[in-house]
Amino acid sequence: MIINGVEIEDTFAEAFSMRATRIIITAINYKWARHAAETMTGFATSVIGCGVEAGIEKVIGNHETPDGRPGISVLLFSTDKKTLEKQLQTRIGQCVLTCPTTAVFPGMDSEDQIALGKNIRYFGDGFQTSKKIGDQRYWRIPVMDGEFICAETTGYQKAIGGGNLLVFARGISHALLACEAAIDAIGMLPNIIMPFPGGGVRSGSKVGSKYKFLSASTNHPYCPTLKGRPDNVLGKNIEACMEIVIDGLTKEDVTLAMQRGMEAICDLGKSQGIEKITGGNYGGNLGPHHFHLREIMNDSYNRYI
Amino acid sequence: MTHTIVTFKGSTKQRLDMRWLSQAINESTNSDVVKKQSLHMGNEKCNIGDIFDITGSFSDHPVVFENSNQSMDYVGHALCKDSHLTVAGDVGHYAGSRLAGGKLVIDGNAQDYTACGMSKGLIEIMGDANDYVGSAHVGDKKGMAGGTILVHGNTGHFTGDMLRRGTIMVVGNIGDYCGSRMIAGTITNLGTIGKQVGVGMRRGTILLPHKPKDVLTGFHDCGRHNLGYLTLLLHELRQYKSTFQSLHPMRRRVQRYIGDTTVSGQGEMLIWIG
Repeated sequence: MIINGVEIEDTFAEAFSMRATRIIITAINYKWARHAAETMTGFATSVIGCGVEAGIEKVIGNHETPDGRPGISVLLFSTDKKTLEKQLQTRIGQCVLTCPTTAVFPGMDSEDQIALGKNIRYFGDGFQTSKKIGDQRYWRIPVMDGEFICAETTGYQKAIGGGNLLVFARGISHALLACEAAIDAIGMLPNIIMPFPGGGVRSGSKVGSKYKFLSASTNHPYCPTLKGRPDNVLGKNIEACMEIVIDGLTKEDVTLAMQRGMEAICDLGKSQGIEKITGGNYGGNLGPHHFHLREIMNDSYNRYI
Repeated sequence: MTHTIVTFKGSTKQRLDMRWLSQAINESTNSDVVKKQSLHMGNEKCNIGDIFDITGSFSDHPVVFENSNQSMDYVGHALCKDSHLTVAGDVGHYAGSRLAGGKLVIDGNAQDYTACGMSKGLIEIMGDANDYVGSAHVGDKKGMAGGTILVHGNTGHFTGDMLRRGTIMVVGNIGDYCGSRMIAGTITNLGTIGKQVGVGMRRGTILLPHKPKDVLTGFHDCGRHNLGYLTLLLHELRQYKSTFQSLHPMRRRVQRYIGDTTVSGQGEMLIWIG
């Protein structure tokens, strides 16, 4: 399948089952809400080294937030409930509680709940008070700028992590152009985050390493400086390869995100130095969710021809 | 929608224990069976069917109780989830006591101990309620433990005495000793309030439109603040059709007093500013 000169390889992206939650951070203005959200989602690129993958989902208007202030919704993904809960509380405690004027609210309705402010309340040293409003209990913790409001729990659900796209381009600038277009398109969608810096990844990994203490190492068949090796998959005219990793709440969310991303890249076309789009997988044996690129792009393909 | 209508036939000054009505509603008892049950009116024993007309089945909600008066005690006592009882007329003491869910609407006035020991649900009183609204049931050490009381008129003394949890909303005035010995929960009104507000209060919130004439010495002024949680509370209060809907949800500037420090309390009295 070739769209606008860009080859869509007949392969699939392999993704994993995760647990995800959403929280809403509000503050006196977007500046401080964003400070808290960015700090909280920093060092949250991969579950392998960070415990959790997290990112800003979207900006929320003050008419949509529980306390009528500007807000930002954040999605967090982890491999299991326990890790998700631990990471959530650590990050709320260190990054949101500390940020001036912020408050935290649950962003997901679900019967399955994890602690949000349940343990953070002890920071109040006995001066904290709880208020049950509707079905939700809130904690009011006295802090130096007034009160930190934090819901006791938030919902979590099953989700998918590790959806991906790999872009082969004639140079770094071309690969970046393609990735930025795709990231902008995917960033418009709800229920999706791209946890790596700016949404792009240059250090795609393979499973295992020659070093026994490493579970993952550089994906050397995709490294342009190793093109001379027999197991390298990059063609002669490829000088850069970049990846976009996508975490989503449902399979449909990830599928749509991959479609929008590939469409944005194909819109640029071969004339912008983009050669091929492929997907990262491990032979299909590790992750239960397989996203076949050509199936996803079938509708788009018809539109292009 | 089908209703069950229970009508008191006559008039009496003798007190009537209406717990049979809640039991019938909770258990969806057949109305023919209920009519044969006996009831004491003063020192006379009679069948319920002799003094009440019952049309419909108790499984049909809402149940409407008509021609009620101040002699009817325990109306809506211990109603359970999904029950809905509407009372046309006044009720006596202990209306909605130990309410465990559902909704009780009283289109009239209520006497003492309304909603005492209540744990869940909603009680709406269109008129006034007398003393000890949302307080502890006789013999208990803790008051209302959850749910919402909305009084469109005034309440008497000791409103929210030993309140443990839940919200008491009063559109009108509140008498003396409001929130006395309060353990937690929220009391708010839009009118005036009497003396000794929050005496012996340990935790919880009393939210008032005007500063009481005599703030107890056990309450300490903590200054003026914008409390974000008030927006959440106001969203909750505005759900109910009442004058509270006129309050803007972003109105959250208050003068805060904490107390009652004479009992090491950390409750708060909040007075709206502006």
